[in-house]
Amino acid sequence: MAGRADESGALSAPGERPVRWAPEERDTLPGVGWGWQAVTGALVLVLVTLHMIANHFVVKGGLRDYQEVIAYITNPVILPLETLFLVVVSWHGLLGLRAVIFDFGLSVRAERIVTRVLLGVWVVTVLYGLTLLAILVTHP
Amino acid sequence: MSERAVTPARQAPPRGRRRGVLGWLDVRGRRLGGWAFILNRVTGLGVLFYLYLHLIVLSQLAAGPSSWNALLNWFLNPIFLVLDVVLLAGLLIHGLNGIRLTLVEFGLVVSRQKALLLAFGTVGVIVLLIGALRFLSDVGAK
Amino acid sequence: MGETVTFRVHRYKQGDAAPHQDTFQVETEPRTTVLDALTAIRRTQDPSLTLRHSCFHASCGTCAMKVNGREVLACVTNVRELGTAEVVVEPLENAPLVSDLVVEMAPFFARYNAIDRPLVRESELVPGAQRAPGVERALRYEDCIECGICVSVCPIAGTDPDYLGPAALAAADRVREEPRGRDLPFVLSLADDPHGVWRCHAAFECTEACPSNVDPAGHIMQLRRALIGGRLRRLFAPRAEVGR
Repeated sequence: MAGRADESGALSAPGERPVRWAPEERDTLPGVGWGWQAVTGALVLVLVTLHMIANHFVVKGGLRDYQEVIAYITNPVILPLETLFLVVVSWHGLLGLRAVIFDFGLSVRAERIVTRVLLGVWVVTVLYGLTLLAILVTHP
Repeated sequence: MSERAVTPARQAPPRGRRRGVLGWLDVRGRRLGGWAFILNRVTGLGVLFYLYLHLIVLSQLAAGPSSWNALLNWFLNPIFLVLDVVLLAGLLIHGLNGIRLTLVEFGLVVSRQKALLLAFGTVGVIVLLIGALRFLSDVGAK
Repeated sequence: MGETVTFRVHRYKQGDAAPHQDTFQVETEPRTTVLDALTAIRRTQDPSLTLRHSCFHASCGTCAMKVNGREVLACVTNVRELGTAEVVVEPLENAPLVSDLVVEMAPFFARYNAIDRPLVRESELVPGAQRAPGVERALRYEDCIECGICVSVCPIAGTDPDYLGPAALAAADRVREEPRGRDLPFVLSLADDPHGVWRCHAAFECTEACPSNVDPAGHIMQLRRALIGGRLRRLFAPRAEVGR
């Protein structure tokens, strides 16, 4: 049915402009894409499970008081894990937000701006988290 | 014509004929996988919102023991414990669906994807019930 | 046996400010299909109702539309079996609207024809099937009837106008399975695009809705696995042939 494709894949019917599939090139960065969302998702899954169990399931009352938080976060195994969690979960979350924003059908230019802004948000988030961790770890 | 020329193929159809993001809210005719798709996006946004709330709340730790411990008492309010159950539900939906998606999208479990969805749904409900009992038994603790 | 059923039909003509719905009363018999009812409306009530159809038996793929919110082939959708007093008929989604129930299929075919998958399969319908005396070989056509239902139900096609789409991607995977002289690396290069196979979010709506058992989502996932496998092989053996 309908027209046949010529060699280039364009659909030509008489008196009609050819229609071909030619998506616009998107602005991409390393670490942005479906594969990364799966990889960071897998990491987040492990880390969030640890985080939830350690902070809310094994603790009496489901929440750590101040001393318990300090004891937890200064643990040499926990500190790198929680830092990694912060870095990865914010990347995964903002990458997901970017995908949802892109679904509103932005121009390539607008998409580039969104990508840069979210990258900035991620950097600020990580710096904020690291600062907070540093304050807690060095706390007397 | 260049390989990547913009052509009529990408012109937006007239109003109402592309579902768009608001079309996610139109649940008519949606099947199980479609629900999983929309729930994944909604829970993802919800959990991201919570992540930032959580990070902001954690800044109270820097203010010292008294302000943090005061905050804790507040969070043991039943309303917050119910919200914790909602959060757990969001995490379970997003996390379990994420495992399903990764397995399916790497082409590993394709023919049995629906069974996988139902199995993960069952696991999710069970863990949610356990978690809800655990959280709500904390009412009045500490 | 006659039974009157109310049809609420989507109406839109070029230049209209907005689409609206018209209501028609149609006498139905137990075997009346939605397509029968719509052609009856055209014949006896409103000749200006535009719809597209051809074969009346689910082979041509031209009468795809939404009936009570679900994408179906109108020719094989029995009115009584719908079980509703009122039947709502709308055109497919995610395609430009031409008139009433007719959508523009050019974007669909621009994608589908870019893949240019041969129509006849190498494999037969059932390998051990009995054939009539004197018939040595049975040919089997590809399953896809190019109806556009998969694109209409797809949540990604709903937001990404550049998405290659389920039908074209399933066709690409069929070329991978049986190249039949086609330029496989070229077909894979079309599918291996941010708006191609990686854009799918595995809602499987296409597979559920397909009236012809194409299983587009299953093919998309098989294609992804093949592309990931190809990448891994190139990673460890950089000179390996593309996509094999």
